[in-house]
Amino acid sequence: MNQRNEFPEGKNIYQPHLMEIIKIIPETGDTKTFHIQFVEASLGETFSFLSGQFAEYSVFGEGEATFCISSSPTRMDHLEFSVKRVGRVTSALHQLNEGDIIGFRGPYGNHFPLDKLKGKNLLFVGGGIGLAPLRSLIHNVLDDRSNYQDITILYGARSPQDLCFKYDLEAWSRNPLVKMVTTVDVGDKDWKGKVGLVPIVLEEICPSPNGAMAVTCGPPIMIRYTLKSLEKLGFTPSQVWTTLEMKMKCGFGKCGRCNVGPIYVCRDGPVFSLEEIRNFVSDEF
Amino acid sequence: MYRRITRENLKKWLAGLKAEAEVVAPAKVDGLFTYQEFNGRELLRSFQNTRLPPKGLFLESLRVLFGWKSQGGSLRVNIPSSFNGQRVIFGLRACDARALRTLEPVFRGDYQDVFFLQNLSRTLLLGLACRVQCEGSFCTEMGIDPQESVDFDIFFRESPAGYIAKVITDKGNELTGESEFEEASEEEWKLARWQIRGPREKPLFDLERVKAKVLESFPDEDFWKHISAKCINCGVCTYLCPTCHCFDLCDLQMPGQGVRCRCWDSCAFPNFTKMAVHNPREEKWRRYRQRVSHKFNFFHQNFQTIACVGCGRCVVYCPVNLDLREVLVKVAR
Repeated sequence: MNQRNEFPEGKNIYQPHLMEIIKIIPETGDTKTFHIQFVEASLGETFSFLSGQFAEYSVFGEGEATFCISSSPTRMDHLEFSVKRVGRVTSALHQLNEGDIIGFRGPYGNHFPLDKLKGKNLLFVGGGIGLAPLRSLIHNVLDDRSNYQDITILYGARSPQDLCFKYDLEAWSRNPLVKMVTTVDVGDKDWKGKVGLVPIVLEEICPSPNGAMAVTCGPPIMIRYTLKSLEKLGFTPSQVWTTLEMKMKCGFGKCGRCNVGPIYVCRDGPVFSLEEIRNFVSDEF
Repeated sequence: MYRRITRENLKKWLAGLKAEAEVVAPAKVDGLFTYQEFNGRELLRSFQNTRLPPKGLFLESLRVLFGWKSQGGSLRVNIPSSFNGQRVIFGLRACDARALRTLEPVFRGDYQDVFFLQNLSRTLLLGLACRVQCEGSFCTEMGIDPQESVDFDIFFRESPAGYIAKVITDKGNELTGESEFEEASEEEWKLARWQIRGPREKPLFDLERVKAKVLESFPDEDFWKHISAKCINCGVCTYLCPTCHCFDLCDLQMPGQGVRCRCWDSCAFPNFTKMAVHNPREEKWRRYRQRVSHKFNFFHQNFQTIACVGCGRCVVYCPVNLDLREVLVKVAR
């Protein structure tokens, strides 16, 4: 029998690249943003991604977890991702320090439809840590501001202490080309923004659906009511985009757990229009 | 192309292959049929099929993907040594071979799983036609002829004097070329087709109808609650299934080093889809519905084949007798 070397392409799809944590920003009591850079600098030069895509991040020995890339493809000197401490891998990430090494595989999944957003009034609706993927897109759009019309950002959290990316929120509210609305479910004596749930505030500020596109990310319950409010405001399903949250492991449609109907959220998503979601066989997401 | 070989010579031939390849054949171990390294002496004759499907020889239940070592603050990732030793598996059944062909496109595509694909390409598949319909099986309903297949390199049928072999691939031809095999005719191959013991008068269900109706019944919560009522979430149907391929990635760690593994997982387990604050398939009926719908419709939408070969393992070994055949009959009704 002939000996054949059959390691096709020789590439191990499960093997992560090594990244160094260059900065850690505490966002809230349980959320941190990590700035990371490829240990092998040449990889950083060829790496590219689009807003909305995600990656698999490893703490060696603890496992891998899925997070979106929360920095913008227009700012490539490092990558950012944000992590809420909820389980094994996220807790391990929170233990790490600047200078520590993590594993990174990606980017995976589809991305926000920049081509469809161009020339439109944009409405971003985010809640809690759900601002992470939106923030990548917002920075991307702001770095290419002339290609878009009015930009409205509505962001909410449970309390002023739970607001993520405060440095971005401040910059956006100072930006004359952005309408920034921040709301909390419960305020405190120093809170000067709005108080109320995101979908209710959304109806209050009443953005026009004419020539507009809405992109929303946040906890499932907020998404559900935000979609209803957008519908009430006259947004059609093809004008509304969101990301679906599903348990993921492999990132490329093989391990099976993010399967919803014929769709693998990791491979075919995580970005979907409301029109696409409405046609899903299943509501299991 | 057909070839003939006596029983004794087949044994000799397989034993001879051990010099250049790992030869695997069914054996009885602790009362259970399983695929094992061929001892070179006896080939089982009474065997119908193994309890565990051969998928584990390709998609291992636990497979090291890479390892790492940390020394003095620096971390080094090392790739596992690639294995390209040749392997021959004899005695595979038509259902299990079809299952391997069904799994192949999952591990191909834009992201190639070299571990699975290498296992497939380094292995010669030698099939053996069935003479008895296995208990619990419904291969014929799934469009599989247990005595005819193109999913092998060589497919054997038993004849009174030994075996008649249909050589399907070039690799199979190469292997049988200069050896104990003699040329045989198509007539001999046809004659070696046995009357299967225990076939059904008419099919239990129509597969096309199942495929369409499973989508139709998807929103019917009561139907799936009723169907899945006695399931105990043990997951044995998924572990014994030759086409189930869902996996988990897990780390094993020792001081200063560790490995990441790919290991079998199961959609029958509630943890499979459990996230930090939310589990879309917390309820049992949703998980059972997912398994049936995925196999008989969703998988087909992605890969144009049904992810079931009707081997019947899930039927026979289900501890609560949740019979997939009955489920499919109900779905098709």
